[in-house]
Amino acid sequence: MNRLHYLAIVTVVLGLLGLGGVVQAADLVSKTEFAAENEIIVHFSNPVDRTQAADPGRYVVFEESDPDIRLNISTIVVSENGREALLTFDEPLNSAKTHIVKTSGIGGVAESSFSVSKSYFGYLISILISALLINNFVFTKYLGLCVFFGTSKRKQTAKGMGVVFTIVIVVSVSMSWVLFQYVLRPFNLDYLQIVIFIGLTSLTVQAVDTVLRKVNPVLFKSFGVYLVLVIANCVIIAVPLLMASNGYNYFETFMLSLGAGGGFLLALYLMSSVSERVELAKVPPSFKGLPIAFIVAGQFAMAFLGFSGLQLF
Amino acid sequence: MKMIFTIIFRLTVSCLIAGTIMGMTFIVTNKAKKANEFAREEKVVYALLGYSKDRPIPESMGMHEVFRYLVLEGESQSIGYLVPTGGHGEEGGFGFIRISLDGTFIDQTDIVLSEDKVREQGERDLAIQTALGPARQVRFVDQTIVVTDHGSRTAYLLHGKFPGFKTNIGIMLALDPGYSIIGLEVMEHEEDPGLGAEIEQDYFKNQFKLKDFDTIKAIEVIKKPLPDEYFEALEGRIDEAAALDIMEQYKDQDIYALTGATISSDAVSSGVKGMTKKFAYRLDILDKVLEEQQIAVPF
Amino acid sequence: MATDKSNFQLVTNGILQENPIFKLALSMCPAVGISTTVMNGLMLGTAVLFVQVFSSVTISLLKNFIHPRIRIPTYTLTIATWVTVIDLSLAAYFPAAYAQMGIFVKIIVAFAIITMRLEMFACKEPVSSSFWDGLGMGLGFMVGMVVIGLVRELLGSGAILGHDVLGFKPLLFFILPSAGFFVVGLMMGFFNWIEKYYAARKRGNR
Repeated sequence: MNRLHYLAIVTVVLGLLGLGGVVQAADLVSKTEFAAENEIIVHFSNPVDRTQAADPGRYVVFEESDPDIRLNISTIVVSENGREALLTFDEPLNSAKTHIVKTSGIGGVAESSFSVSKSYFGYLISILISALLINNFVFTKYLGLCVFFGTSKRKQTAKGMGVVFTIVIVVSVSMSWVLFQYVLRPFNLDYLQIVIFIGLTSLTVQAVDTVLRKVNPVLFKSFGVYLVLVIANCVIIAVPLLMASNGYNYFETFMLSLGAGGGFLLALYLMSSVSERVELAKVPPSFKGLPIAFIVAGQFAMAFLGFSGLQLF
Repeated sequence: MKMIFTIIFRLTVSCLIAGTIMGMTFIVTNKAKKANEFAREEKVVYALLGYSKDRPIPESMGMHEVFRYLVLEGESQSIGYLVPTGGHGEEGGFGFIRISLDGTFIDQTDIVLSEDKVREQGERDLAIQTALGPARQVRFVDQTIVVTDHGSRTAYLLHGKFPGFKTNIGIMLALDPGYSIIGLEVMEHEEDPGLGAEIEQDYFKNQFKLKDFDTIKAIEVIKKPLPDEYFEALEGRIDEAAALDIMEQYKDQDIYALTGATISSDAVSSGVKGMTKKFAYRLDILDKVLEEQQIAVPF
Repeated sequence: MATDKSNFQLVTNGILQENPIFKLALSMCPAVGISTTVMNGLMLGTAVLFVQVFSSVTISLLKNFIHPRIRIPTYTLTIATWVTVIDLSLAAYFPAAYAQMGIFVKIIVAFAIITMRLEMFACKEPVSSSFWDGLGMGLGFMVGMVVIGLVRELLGSGAILGHDVLGFKPLLFFILPSAGFFVVGLMMGFFNWIEKYYAARKRGNR
């Protein structure tokens, strides 16, 4: 995993992000996107007749969930080369919802319909960022604190715990998702959520334990002790519960668990860095140890409050 | 070897016992949960309409539920309304009226369903689906309650959900027959306590009262402090007649935003604006169709 | 090997000497997260009490039936069952209070305190001692939550149990989530200080 690999990954990610709304139906339109608050830009694959494209009567636009409510187009501006049309609406658009645009008689195509939505990949990244920063499980949701305070004294332990935790959470939440979608939901067994999720977590921990012991005993020696602590971590049960209550699909669940694990690692790392310094500071004797750790965590929590309402995509 | 069998046996027995306990609890509590939810909604509905212990519901009041569905038939879509049929005071059944996306009547199917079953989404969906046949799929969208007094409409109650500052905010809105707002109640939200959560307070919610349809269609949020007298009136700290006077004065104004919670305030205003506009549009179409087709409904 | 403490001592032990929140520093997530009102503290405290008592009693009853090699999964299963029961019950009978607590009731299943108690006490002791010990631990948790809730609610919204006491809101900060950390940290420090003070006095008196 050298620099070139990293670069390649970053380029692919940025490329996917720029995809915007990838068009499904016709070949008429190559790309659609939301522009300002009340604008949609349509990119045609081939230049189209400018008078046709500028006629609001040829467009029908509505939100996917409300097909009977037609949105009023106030003006249309078509670019010089006939490849772009800027539709401006009376009211601001709710860009979080998918919109459908139907055209008739533009560019030689009798009828075509295509959707406009924010990049799905952007949405996935926003789930990741949300779990990582905005709704950080330790500093914003106050979960996993026991383990957090126990392993945040040294940078080494913090890193170890964080990595092990991320791996376990991604694996166990994926399995939980499968069971939830294909067993619990169809059979109306929602109330078995708690048992199933905690059971799968224990299973994962056990499996990782056994595998690690056999495959890489050296790694096991340094990380094995954290495995037991994973079960006692509130986050590990909170993530599948969140997944269940939001009804995420697989990719969203994956992003959520990655973000949760990453957020935990971040929190641990930040905390341990401060912890190491606090040990050398003059702390009043009654506050040594946990009390001062709590106060530091409180300050971090206040800092993370600043991420509230962050919206990247 | 024997040990493994013992382990498996004991574990299985434990799982079975655990499962039974949980299953039984679920069955018992589910009924209570549904009853509680219904009771809570009823309480909110009565409060919104202005009834309470001191002002009980009159005998002549009726509540009729209209359910809106999306009907998919191959590539085309249409809107379907499940309405109670029959005139005022009669024992009627239900009819499923299909209207095309541009507001023209398509057809009406009679649905056989009892009054209590119609509230269960599963039963309702099944009944409609069977009546329409396999070629079409129905999907429930939302429901409205039409409140009547002696058969004439007094209010509409709508549910709505829209994104707030944090997650979604769910509200119940009460409109009068002219689409002015009677009242608004916040049903669920996850806003910050002391900041966004203040949308639950009277001094925010009650600002929407008495605003008429034209004001709501163009409502905005202004970042100015709430005038003291308006605050007192909204919170009900002065007597009713004086409060009503003050509220009449402010009824054409925009909404005063909450301190430190502009986004939440804006979310609620836009949400109310969107809900009212869409509802007015749809109800006008439905009323037109009901009149044209001479369909008798108890409201 | 039965414990030599009396039943009453078991209970007070849970509340004072081995208080889960302030002494053992376990199950701190709800202490920080939702201790914004006394009502929340009471509700969650009751839930934890229920789970702890029932789990302790169940495990104590079944201690001869449980195979030592699968005891941890069995503890987990027991706790998960009782958490599901209390979760469903609270959701059905106290929906308003339940909505305040969010997923914290479900998270009880991950509390280290309950598993540890089962491991250290219930699997060795007879049923009645386990019952009192569970009660003590549960009450200790509830007391801790209520105390923190009292401080935060009083200083944050000037009310107790929803009733306006002070008539004004001293510091909104206290009901904001991050204050939980501060309040718990300060209270822990305070308790430590009291302990050291009394220990020093005891030593001074000898």
